[in-house]
Amino acid sequence: MSLSADRLARAYRNGFLPGSRRTVFRDLSLTIRPGETFGLMGNSGAGKSTLGRVIAGLEPPTAGRVCFHGRDTALMNRSEYRAFRRSVQVMFQDPSAAFNPKKTIGTSYMEVLDLIGTPRPAQKAVIAGILESVGLSGELLGRYPHQISGGQSQRLALGRILLLDPEYIVLDEPTSALDVSVQAQILHLLKELQSERGIGYLFISHDEAVVRFMASRVGRIEDGRLVIEGEA
Amino acid sequence: MRAMDALKSTNRGAMALLAVFLCMAAFPSLIAPYGPSERSMPYQAPGPEHILGTTNMGNDILSELIYGARISLLVGFASALLATGIGLAVGLTAGYFRGALDEVLMAFTDVVLIIPKIPLIIILAAFLRPGVGILILVLGALSWESIARVVRSKTLQVRETGFVMSARCMGFPPLRIMASDIVPNIIHVVLPKFMLATAAAMISEASLSFLGLGDPSMESWGAMVSSAFTKGGFIREMWWWYLPPGICITLCVLSVAAIGFAFEEGEGTTVRVE
Repeated sequence: MSLSADRLARAYRNGFLPGSRRTVFRDLSLTIRPGETFGLMGNSGAGKSTLGRVIAGLEPPTAGRVCFHGRDTALMNRSEYRAFRRSVQVMFQDPSAAFNPKKTIGTSYMEVLDLIGTPRPAQKAVIAGILESVGLSGELLGRYPHQISGGQSQRLALGRILLLDPEYIVLDEPTSALDVSVQAQILHLLKELQSERGIGYLFISHDEAVVRFMASRVGRIEDGRLVIEGEA
Repeated sequence: MRAMDALKSTNRGAMALLAVFLCMAAFPSLIAPYGPSERSMPYQAPGPEHILGTTNMGNDILSELIYGARISLLVGFASALLATGIGLAVGLTAGYFRGALDEVLMAFTDVVLIIPKIPLIIILAAFLRPGVGILILVLGALSWESIARVVRSKTLQVRETGFVMSARCMGFPPLRIMASDIVPNIIHVVLPKFMLATAAAMISEASLSFLGLGDPSMESWGAMVSSAFTKGGFIREMWWWYLPPGICITLCVLSVAAIGFAFEEGEGTTVRVE
């Protein structure tokens, strides 16, 4: 029941000449088990975020495979892929871009519930429950993204992801745009939710202290290869 | 601040002017003193009965001018709408899906971009049956490429934002993401393009009508100048025949373009995804 990357590689074409490719990472394997946090570190531009997007299925790998529950995601049928799509989510770095600026937070929440087929009358209660678990009030639902703070935005983004009841979340530098006190609150909230729901995290950050606080296993991308440090 | 105020007042003036032309186009029978087929003495000079005189057929020039707004605005807005629709579809598809599809669509866009428009429109209008529908189709189908380029580049930018990535990750269908998350956040760059495409289409329509390639059954402003040119208006120095439609074309295009430019200028002042 794990999410794993097997000999994964990602390269980008760099111009039209043959052989002009830039390899971001290669031969990269890792496994994330339910309820555990894998911490991923590396310098800026090392390919941490790219790896997160490839594992979440937002970008295809150049080589290798991503397996969810033992199945190669590239070979999944429609219903399997839909289940994978909902079970593996990403939380991004920039809180100001977490929500569509043209929609209220409530609309952004409701469209997720519409997507998974939650009946309209039941949606209010579901949203209230989620907001309670991320420590926010329903008053924020009527606001637009530019009317809320960075910390609130990250909590709301996390709440929106939780509506899908995911098994794994790729946390792509989720606190690096926040100030220290808010950062601590979000990290504790993430730990709390993990113990309540058994969610597996791929926690990406360049901040070693934060990664070691969050993760049970830590890896570092160096020169396009993953070096796993073992138990943190 | 002063520049912004000037911009706002220009915009208000342009909007008022466009509103006048839209009223002329929407309710010509209420505003025009005579019907389009009512005739009196030909080649009359301006007077109390006919404020702008009459044509070689005895038609009231002021009434023709008012009825002519309909064709110019219809061709302008309808072909711009068509061009914007095609440009949006091509640009969104190329920018959202990227890869080979993007390269094929952009290569096709580049080909359309280098086609000399007016000569091609003249040839098409000459070979196809002249009519408003054909004119709209031809003008719309040949002026979408700059809109497609702008839409593509903006889509490439917006698709990398957190909320679009989240929507993709959650499994929203691509069409839904484009319509619900991308289009509302790029519409501010499409709107000025739409207005400028309208102005360009109105000029093209007037040019084609002047060359006698417009719809002969409907009198547009370009066709009025053409009639004045071929039916003795210029020789008789009847400036009241050829000057008013020329002024109307100029003012209408200016008002539409000014609104387009105002939208473009206002771009920097609104809250949006960057």
